[in-house]
Amino acid sequence: MPPAIASSAVPRAAALPNRRQRPRVAPWLMPLILVLGLFYLYPVLDVFRLALTRATLLGGDEGYTVSTLTQTLARPELPGILGVTALFTLASVFSQQLLGLAIALVVVRGEKRRLFGTTIVRTTALIAWVVPGIAGGIIWKMLFNEAPFGGLNSILRLMGAAPVQWLSDPDLVMWSVVISNVWRGTAFSMVVMYAALKAIDPVLYEAAAVDGASAPQRLMHVTLPQLRSAILVNMILITIQTLNTFDAIISLTGGGPGRSTEVLSLYTFNVVFRNYDLAGGAVLSILMLVISLGLALVYAAFLPKGEDR
Amino acid sequence: MMTRSACRLSLAAVLAASVALPAMAQNTITGDTVGPANAPKTLTFRMTTDGPRNNDPDVAEGYGKLFREYVARHPGWKVELQMMSGDIGQEQARMLEQAKSGNAPDCAAVDSFVLPLFKKAGVLQSFSPYFKKEEIEQLFPFIREGITGTDGQIYAWWWSTDLRVLYRNKKVIAEAPQTWDDTRKAALASVKEGMEGILFNGGRFEGTTFDWLANFWAQGGKLVDDAGKPIFGEGENRAKFIKAVNYYRDLVESGAAPKRVATIGNYDDFNAAAAAGTTALFVGGNWQLAQLKSTLEAEDFANWTFSMLPGPTGAERSTGTGGWTVASLSKDPAKVEMCANLAREIYMGPANALQEQLPTRADLYDKYPVFATEANKAFAAALKVGQARPGAPVYPEISNQIQIMMGKVLTGSQPTEAAVDDAFKASMDAFKRL
Repeated sequence: MPPAIASSAVPRAAALPNRRQRPRVAPWLMPLILVLGLFYLYPVLDVFRLALTRATLLGGDEGYTVSTLTQTLARPELPGILGVTALFTLASVFSQQLLGLAIALVVVRGEKRRLFGTTIVRTTALIAWVVPGIAGGIIWKMLFNEAPFGGLNSILRLMGAAPVQWLSDPDLVMWSVVISNVWRGTAFSMVVMYAALKAIDPVLYEAAAVDGASAPQRLMHVTLPQLRSAILVNMILITIQTLNTFDAIISLTGGGPGRSTEVLSLYTFNVVFRNYDLAGGAVLSILMLVISLGLALVYAAFLPKGEDR
Repeated sequence: MMTRSACRLSLAAVLAASVALPAMAQNTITGDTVGPANAPKTLTFRMTTDGPRNNDPDVAEGYGKLFREYVARHPGWKVELQMMSGDIGQEQARMLEQAKSGNAPDCAAVDSFVLPLFKKAGVLQSFSPYFKKEEIEQLFPFIREGITGTDGQIYAWWWSTDLRVLYRNKKVIAEAPQTWDDTRKAALASVKEGMEGILFNGGRFEGTTFDWLANFWAQGGKLVDDAGKPIFGEGENRAKFIKAVNYYRDLVESGAAPKRVATIGNYDDFNAAAAAGTTALFVGGNWQLAQLKSTLEAEDFANWTFSMLPGPTGAERSTGTGGWTVASLSKDPAKVEMCANLAREIYMGPANALQEQLPTRADLYDKYPVFATEANKAFAAALKVGQARPGAPVYPEISNQIQIMMGKVLTGSQPTEAAVDDAFKASMDAFKRL
């Protein structure tokens, strides 16, 4: 073999296995990057762009400006809207988490004891979850209807109790909305908690039993510490879900009476579709994104780190 | 187990159906398309329930017949139907956005109160070449004004109108209340009979604003000036506005209306209350007469009647008038013409008669026997004091602010004056932004 050929053949032969070990990933990832970029990143970037314009649904001169940002955030009704949103989110998230955990504990306990009906309980809870928000809102509107033939008030009257102003009392209406949201959202928390409970090593419970731990002690010192990650991840997910909830509210109260139940997502919807203020709606969407990210980071700070797991 | 003869029969049925179905498709509405599937030209039409998808099977069939006849008169065309959801405000806003980006349907139902926004955005095509001058002149003045652009061209065909009236159960309230004071007394009398009192929309709903505005207009109040700037919170208008709001507030505080009116945002609630016999008085739309007729037993329906909305005095009266238009958003002249034909051949008269929806042309009241009834004559008479919502781009936000204000006032969470001033300030802020 001529020396020139020999010298060129050696590196090519050596490079072959190298190339096999480190394949080019870009062609494989490119479709995913394109899809994510086109359908997720581009709309997000466009929202940021719109927030710096005067865009309305009526067209006209968009013109770039920062005044939309300052004027939208300085609207006098915004603090009240944020207060309503905070109350709705806090009450919904904690109630969904507690109820979801309680139902999951009951279901797991029932399965261990081979009790009849655990599957029915799980399925019943899940039915509420698959009901679309708008339909859920309409169902609860019929139940909370304050007419003499309204669902819950009819039951109260049969029991001899006074009817309740579920939706027309500005101090009570928020709790009615929270009840409807918790009814719908609890199933998700139940599923997450159920999966996490199933993953706990039974040996831990056996060791606790050997040590003579009571049921509340097992819950406090074995179950809850083992569920910590699942609870925090669930809280992140349901917080974002609750912050974005507006379909159930719009069909139940429309945000009223007045602004009693107008949460940030519904307010954003109204700004865009009632006020035609596309730029203002974009600013409020970014505000929702910032709040969601901020809360997610707070929760994430409590997540167990590598060595704690 | 299926026998051999049953298998043969099934096979024959499947073969027969496969032969017959395409033939039937030529004449029937299949899926969302009217007309032959292979027609070279397509007109997309976005509609409300005023069409072949109406919930009432008789009305749906009636529209189906009208659409089939329309397509048969225009060979080579088919109509692709698109349905709007019930959230009209959102649907119309979305359609406007689609029109701006060139993705709108060729032809669409546009709510009369958002028509000014569509005109202002310049997304509608002129219908003037397709309607005779005499046809346009037959339209009621407020209708003609509503569809005409600044260039004198018409940009839609407003085919139906409606109005608000006061329904009452004659057995409980014999005389029609003429004034606000009469109304309160009549409602309190019905409460003594074990009823809820007067019902009206008071929730976050366009109907809340629209039904109530008659009380403001009856005093000569104006929401916006000629330039579209809100003026309802200034000078005399403010006083008239507060007086009209206090009328509703007083109804609730005196017990003449239940507090739940602050949660009502749907005309169907009134039909339900009438059917349950829990109310004898409510503010509703003219179209509800037909609904009451189909909902109530004949002897119960005979007890119900309607009258003009009461005013602060018997002489000061008004009512809100709305309705639907058909407009073209296509840039293709052939499709614009087909859309205008659709408005004329289906909606301008035949659809009015089919659904007993009040026509916008005076001559059509004589043309169709259905409008010769006493009830429809009374509705037509009430139209004389009718007033349409202002054609200003800021109106939807004014309406939103009135709904918010009404909730605060009816639940007693804010004094009337403060709530009205807040609504006016927010409307002015919106006006400056638009």
